[in-house]
Parts: sequence; structure tokens; C-alpha cells
Amino acid sequence: MAAPILVLERVRKVYARGRVMRRPTFTLEADLALEEPGIVGVVGPNGAGKTTLFEMMTGSNAPTSGRVLVAGTDIHRVKYRERDRLAIHYHQSYQVRRFHKRVPSIFLAPSPTLAPMVHLFDEPQFNLQDGYIGFMLDFFRKLRQEGRLVVLCMHPTAAWHLDILAEIAGQFLFVADGGVARKPDFGSLVAEPRFRSYLGPEMTRAAEGICRRGSAGKFDA
Amino acid sequence: MSMIEATGVHVRFGDRVVLESVDLAVAEGEFHGVMGPNGAGKTTFFNVLTGRVKPSRGAIRLGGEDVTGLSVHRIAAKGVARSFQIMTLFDEFSASDNVMMGLPEFRARGLDLAHAAAGNRQFAAKASEGLAAVGLAEKADVRAKDLSYGDRRALEIAVALAQEPRVLCLDEPTSGLGSDGVQRLTALVARLKGKLTIVAIEHDMEFLFSLADRISVIHWGQVVARGTPHELQQNEWVRRSNLGRFA
Repeated sequence: MAAPILVLERVRKVYARGRVMRRPTFTLEADLALEEPGIVGVVGPNGAGKTTLFEMMTGSNAPTSGRVLVAGTDIHRVKYRERDRLAIHYHQSYQVRRFHKRVPSIFLAPSPTLAPMVHLFDEPQFNLQDGYIGFMLDFFRKLRQEGRLVVLCMHPTAAWHLDILAEIAGQFLFVADGGVARKPDFGSLVAEPRFRSYLGPEMTRAAEGICRRGSAGKFDA
Repeated sequence: MSMIEATGVHVRFGDRVVLESVDLAVAEGEFHGVMGPNGAGKTTFFNVLTGRVKPSRGAIRLGGEDVTGLSVHRIAAKGVARSFQIMTLFDEFSASDNVMMGLPEFRARGLDLAHAAAGNRQFAAKASEGLAAVGLAEKADVRAKDLSYGDRRALEIAVALAQEPRVLCLDEPTSGLGSDGVQRLTALVARLKGKLTIVAIEHDMEFLFSLADRISVIHWGQVVARGTPHELQQNEWVRRSNLGRFA
């Protein structure tokens, strides 16, 4: 059997302050495996560690402990220039390619794949007016069909953002309180009390409306 | 066979990847539109097509011939002409001289502009033909810098056409034009349609949706959607947006 597309194996990231007495200021832990191609929605409050999670997944920020395996390869042990052949991080419209180069590339391994298996879209700019949303969503679906894993991070600030998430994502990761909770569908994400308090009452009502309608009633702009 | 074809074009500048992997095949006589948000990599893709930027990976074929990595003038000589998002004309020269300088046989004589521009009737006749084709017949002697913005756009196309290209690449031809300027340019490009292969980057959706045979949407350095204007407008999100108006 082929290796799972993305595995975060007891990954732990700690940011600490102080030179002598190191005091942790931020901790993020994740232990999960995304075996199949698909589209995963990532949500969570600001500062919860979504970007750190993405950076660890794409090899630009090494975890304090644990391993990130993309298609069975530890991405943090792959040559910097070839990490984008495993995972790509798009921030809004641009690709992020800044690596903390801690080990000379010569000591690192080549990428086993040519085309990236994991595509992370960090808050892509969706604009209702220009119509590109439709093309972007179709592109995510095409990547999924081609056997890739799409990770889509969004900050839902309008009801139609939730529509997009409900329409496109097959499962969800909720990042909060130093951990990553996996939710198998939109309904169980909305049932999560911490997600509801992050959304606020008005957006929670909109999310519940989407759950009631099912996937049929898309797009209430 | 495609007139111009890009396969797996990848461009990176240091750590920055501008084009991930772009494939595009444009048939002879096709008008192919390219659209996408700012920073999507559209202009870089044009720079690869016209030889200004060498792709890190991938290939460009022109009429089946591999032209990847050839210099700008080699590719131009093989029949690819382009206009620029920011116009590039010889401001101090007349409209007619600008077009003349685009003529391949004029260029073959070398750059003795003072003599060349003065005398040769044959070149002048060809230049005035070219100017007439873009509606500038009456402004042949006006210096490029004294022309209106719309006229300069038209002149730039005349210069590109003077090279008798097989492929014309237009980089945002309507940018900066007012609505009547856009109308005039649309009519001009509509007359060219079918006579040569055209690839146009454009933000003006009305322009693109009314003229293009097919459109490629570039985002994140790759083609995220492609189809006829009609096909693209079937997308539910497109229909509900401003793009849907041009169906």
C-alpha cells in the first residue's frame, strides 16, 4: 500500500522566550494522518497556530519534535529547493518559499516526487465580484481528482465563506488551544463549541442554516 | 498542430516561484485570452513565450519547432510579436517611423536611422499601409509622444504587425484606455481576429469574452481553468459575479 499523503507524527512546536530560563510562549501539537486525496478545510482563531502548522507541513518551519511525512518522506530532510515537489504553500496569491536553512542542502535528500502531493492554500483571496472563486474551487477539485491533498485555510467572516467551506471541504481541522482537532464533516465542525464561540452568534446561525439545508442550498451571498 | 505551445513552463526567480507549471496550446488563427488576478504570473508567462525570460523547466514550441531559451530577437524573427503593458515606442520619432522600424526588411538594413528613415519610399508606403490598418493614416507624421493614449496603443499594435508576425501577443491592450478607446481597440483587434494567431492578456472582461475563442485563467502560477467564454460562464460562481454579465 502506498504511504499516506500527509502524516504529522507526534509533531510539537514550541516557541520560547528568554535566554537562560526558556519560557514557552506558544505550543502547538498535532498527531494525525491524512491518508487519501481530498480537500481539507482549516479554521481557527488568529494566533492559534494555523500558519505555523502550514509551515511545518510544507517544510519551511521545523517542528521542535516529531516528523512531517509527505508521501512517506520526512519533508524536513529534503533539499530546500526540492521541498516544493512534495508540498506547496500558497499565501493568498503567492507561493511561500522561505526556508529556515539550518542544514546545508548537500546533507539533505532529493525529493522522491516531481509534482507536489500537498497544496496548501492559506487564505486565498475570494472575491464575489470577479468570479474567480468558481475557477479556484474547480481547481481544488481537479487537484483532488489528480490524487493530491488540498489544504484550504479560511477565516470565515461572511456567510458565503462558510458556504465555500461546506461546499468544497470533505473534512476539517480546527486549530485552537495548542492543538489540532479533526472533524469528519461540516456538521461536526459546527457542533464544536470552540468553533461556535470563534464564529460568534450570527455566523454560527448561518453555519447551522447550511447544515440544515445540506449541500443543496449553496451560495447565499 | 498548434501554432504556439507551452508545456510545463516553470519559472522561479531565486526562492520565488512565479510559474508553477503552465501548459497552453494555441491553434493557428485562434484568439486565446489569458486572464487572472494580479500577481498570477500572466506577464511572466508572456515573457517566456517571447523569449525575455528563460523558463527553469518546460518548453515553448512555435509551429512545432522548439524555441525554448532562444533570445528575444530570434523568437521575434520566427514570427512572434508583442505589445507591452507599459508601452514601448520611440517617442521622438513619428508614427510612421515607428512602424518602419518594425519592418523586418528595414531592420535588415541596419540602424542608420537618419538615412534610412529619410529616403526609402517602399518602406514609407508599407508603414502608411500599417498605420491605415489601425486607423492612424492621418497621423503618420505626428511624433509618438504627441499622440493620444489610445493612438499610442494602436500604434504599438501597428509596430507589432509590421513584423508580419505569425503570433501576436498583446499584454493588457486596453489598460489605461477610456470606454471609447476600448471600443476602438476592440474593433481593431476584431478585424485582426482570424488573420493571425493572437494571445491576449486582459483585465477587461468584456473585451476578452467578446473576442476570445478560448480563455485560460491563470492563478498561483498555473492554469486553473480553461474553456470557451461560454463554457467558463457556466460556472455557478461566475454567473453570480460581474463576469457573468458578459455572457
